[in-house]
Amino acid sequence: MLSRHADASFWIGRYVERAEATARMIDVHYHFGLESPLVGDAMRWSSILAISGQEDLYRKRGYAEDERSILQFFAFDEENSSSIYSCIRLARENGRSIRDQISSEMWKSLNQMYLRFQDWNVDRVLDGSPFAFFETVKEGSQLFQGITNRTLMMGEARDFHDAGRFLERADQTARILDVKYHDLLPTFANAPEKKELPKVVADAGSIGGPVDVHGWIAVLKSVGAFEAFRKTYHQGVTPARVAQFLLLNPQFPASVRHSIGRIDGCLRRISGNRDVAPVNSAECEVGRLYNDLNYMQAGDIITGGLHEFLEDVEDRCTAIGDAIYRTYLSY
Amino acid sequence: MNQEQFQTTSSGLFTGYDTGGFFDEMFDSSGPRAHYAKLAKTLGNLSAKEFRARCELADITLINQGITFTVYGDNKGVEKPFPVDLVPRVLPSDEWAFLERGLAQRVRALNLFLHDVYHEGKILKDGVVPRDLIVNAPNYRRSFVGADVPGDIYVHICGTDLIRDYDGTYRVLEDNCRTPSGVSYMLENRIILMRVFPSLFGENRVRPIDHYTTQLLHNLRQLAPAGRDEPNVVLLTPGVYNSAYFEHSFLAQQMGIELVEGRDLFVEDNIVFMKTTRGPQRVDVIYRRVDDDFLDPLVFRPDSALGVAGLVNAHRAGNVSLTNGIGTGVADDKAVYPYVPAMIRYYLDQDPILEQVETFMGWKSNDLDYMCDHAHELVLKATNESGGYGMLIGPQASKSEIADFVTTVRANPRGFIGQPLISLSRSPCFFDEGFEGRHVDLRPYILCGKDDVTIVPGGLTRVALRKGSYVVNSSQGGGSKDTWVLAGEIPSEMQQSQSQSSSSQIQNQLGQIQTQQVEVGQ
Repeated sequence: MLSRHADASFWIGRYVERAEATARMIDVHYHFGLESPLVGDAMRWSSILAISGQEDLYRKRGYAEDERSILQFFAFDEENSSSIYSCIRLARENGRSIRDQISSEMWKSLNQMYLRFQDWNVDRVLDGSPFAFFETVKEGSQLFQGITNRTLMMGEARDFHDAGRFLERADQTARILDVKYHDLLPTFANAPEKKELPKVVADAGSIGGPVDVHGWIAVLKSVGAFEAFRKTYHQGVTPARVAQFLLLNPQFPASVRHSIGRIDGCLRRISGNRDVAPVNSAECEVGRLYNDLNYMQAGDIITGGLHEFLEDVEDRCTAIGDAIYRTYLSY
Repeated sequence: MNQEQFQTTSSGLFTGYDTGGFFDEMFDSSGPRAHYAKLAKTLGNLSAKEFRARCELADITLINQGITFTVYGDNKGVEKPFPVDLVPRVLPSDEWAFLERGLAQRVRALNLFLHDVYHEGKILKDGVVPRDLIVNAPNYRRSFVGADVPGDIYVHICGTDLIRDYDGTYRVLEDNCRTPSGVSYMLENRIILMRVFPSLFGENRVRPIDHYTTQLLHNLRQLAPAGRDEPNVVLLTPGVYNSAYFEHSFLAQQMGIELVEGRDLFVEDNIVFMKTTRGPQRVDVIYRRVDDDFLDPLVFRPDSALGVAGLVNAHRAGNVSLTNGIGTGVADDKAVYPYVPAMIRYYLDQDPILEQVETFMGWKSNDLDYMCDHAHELVLKATNESGGYGMLIGPQASKSEIADFVTTVRANPRGFIGQPLISLSRSPCFFDEGFEGRHVDLRPYILCGKDDVTIVPGGLTRVALRKGSYVVNSSQGGGSKDTWVLAGEIPSEMQQSQSQSSSSQIQNQLGQIQTQQVEVGQ
C-alpha cells in the first residue's frame, strides 16, 4: 500500500485512541476530585497538566488553573494539537484522505463523531453533565473501533491502524501511571534514594481515610481497569500491584505489555516475517520492549525505580513511533 | 407534631417549602440548617426546568445501567428502576461521629448476644432476656447450638435502620442482621449524583464511600479457614429472579469475586467446591445472600433448590465460612429488639448510646391489652415479617382493618409488638414543580471485621415518596437519596503534604514529560 495511506491509517488509530484516553483521564480526575474532599482543586488540575506534558502551552495560552480552563484546553482548544477536538478533527482529516481505502461505515463514523462534537462547547459541558460529554467521546471512539474491526479487511491498512491505536494506548497508560505515582506518593518522590515502593497502602488501618487508595483506584478507573484489577488481585489496592497490573498484565487490553504485544503482531503481519529475528528497526524496537515486558518481574521494576522504568517505556514508545515512521510511513 | 408548622424563609425554588410540622432535615424555623446552607442556596437558585433536566439525566443513567429492583406480585413487568431523589441528605461530621459510636456499640453487643445464645446462654439464665422468647423464635437455629464461628463474629454486615422523631432525636428502628440489602443503591446514588450534579461536590466537602467494597472484601478474606492464604471468596445469590439480584451482581463485580448460585456448588468430604471449566475449585468464604431456610436442604427446608446440600456441615467443620453466620435472625427479631439496650448493659457494661423506639410486647399481658385498646394510635408489627409487610399503621387504618388486625394479634400475642407512630423526619424531595417534604430513614452499613468495626460514612437514606406515607421500603413505593457525611477539619499535617505534592513535585516532573509529545503533530 502507499506509504501515505499507511501513514493516515496509523494516525487515525492514534488520534481516535488519544481522544478516548484524554476523555477518560479528565473524566476520572474530575470525579476523583469530587469524591475526595481532601484533594484540592489545584492538585486535580495540575496533575492532569502533568500527565499531558503540555503545561508550557497551557501557560502560553494564558489559562488559569480552574475547571473551566482545563476543560477548554483539553477538550476544545484548536491550538492544542492533543485536545479532544483536535484529535477528532485530525482523525477525520486523515480518514478523508483515504476515504477510498477505508470502509464507508468507518468514514461515516469518523464524520459523525466530528459533527456531533460541534454541538458541544465548554458552557454546555459545565451547565449540564461533564459525564455525559465524556461518555459521548468514549462511545464515539468505541463505535469507530468496533466498526473498524467489523468492516476493514484484515490487511495492511488494518495493521497500521491497530499499531497506531496500541502504541497510543501503551504510551497513555505509562504516562498516567508515571504522573499519578508522583502525585500520590509525594514523600517517596521527595526521597528518591529510597527506591522501594511502600508495600501496602490499602491495609485495614488505612482504608477509608487516605487519599492514596482513592487515587490509585482513580488511576485504574481512568484506563477502565478497576474491575479487571479486582478480579486479578483480591488482596487490595497497592501502588506496586497497580503498577504491575497496568504494565505487565498479559491479558488486560490496556496494559503496556498487551499493547506492545499487539503492535508486534501487527508489524510482523505487515512484513510477513516469521523468523524470530526482526527484519527492520521497527520490529527490533517493538520486539525488544515486548521481550523485556514478558520476562520482567514486578520486583525488578520496583527495585530499579518505577519512575525510571516508566520514563524508559515512554522513550521507547517514542522510538517505536519513529522507527515505524522511518521504515514504512515516510513519503 | 409538636413543632409549629412553618414555611421556609428561603428564596428561589425553596420559596414556600412547607415543613408540615415535622422535623425537617434541611430547614429549621429560621431557614436552612448550617450544614445544608450551601446546598439550599445552590439548589434554590435552579429553576424547576433545570432541575427536571437533571432528573431526566439521572433516569437515563439508571435505566441504561439496569439499576432496578423486582416487585413481587406486579404483573406489569418484573423490573422497575429504583427511584432516586436528587436532593442529598446531609449529616454534619459531629452528628455522624455520634452515630458511628452508637452503631458500633450496638453491633458488638448483638454479636456477643448471638455467641451467648448459641453457647452457654448466660443472658437467658440471668433472666435478662426471656428464654422462651429466644428458643421459640422462628429464626433460632437449634441445630447450630455449640458451633463455633471465626472470631466469634456472627453478624459481619449489619444494616441498622435509624429514624429521627419530631425533635430530631435519632432512634434505632430495627437491626438487619441476616442479609441486609441496599448498599449497592448507596454506592450507585453517589455515582449518579456526582454525574448529574458535580458542582455540589465542589462546594461541599463530602466524605467518600466508595471504599465499602474494598473493606468488605478485606473482612471476608480474613474469615478464611486457617492455612488458606489465597482464599476463594464467592457471593451466593438465589439467582436472577431475586429482588436484590442487581445488588448481588454489583457487589460481586466490584469485589472481583465469583457470583455463584447453589447449583454451581457442591460439597464433598465437608469441603465446598465450585464447578469450573477447569474442574472443581475449593471455596473458602461464602458471602451468602440466601436466607438460612434455603441454605442447605439437608438441614433446613428440604424443598430448597437454592442452597447446597452439605453446606452447613462443611461450615460446622470449619472448612468454609459464611457471612452472615447462621441463626443471626434471632438478633434482629422484632421481639428481641426491646431487649437490646439491656444487652448492651449486660455484655459491655455501658449505657446505650443510641435511643430506641418505645415498644409494647404482645407476650406481656399489660402490654397486650394496651396494644389492643390503643391500636388506632400505634403501629403494630408482626415480629417475623420485614420489608413493610405484616404491619398495621393504626392512625392511617380504617376501623375494620384495626379490628381484624387486633383479632390476629390476640390469636398469637408472641408474634406482635406495638410502637407509637413516630413522626419520621422529612427531607425535601423534588417533584415536577418544586420541593416537597417526604419522610426519610437512614440505614448505615456496619462491617464487623476480625479487628474492628467499620462503617462507611453515611448509608442509604430511604424516602417514602408517596405523599404522607411512612413506609420507605422499595417494595412499597419507596425511593432513596444520596447521603452525605461532611468532612470535619483537615488535620494540618495532611494539608501540608497535599500542597507539596501539587506544586513542586509536579513541576520537577514536567521537564521529563514534555519531550514526548513532539512526534504528535504529524
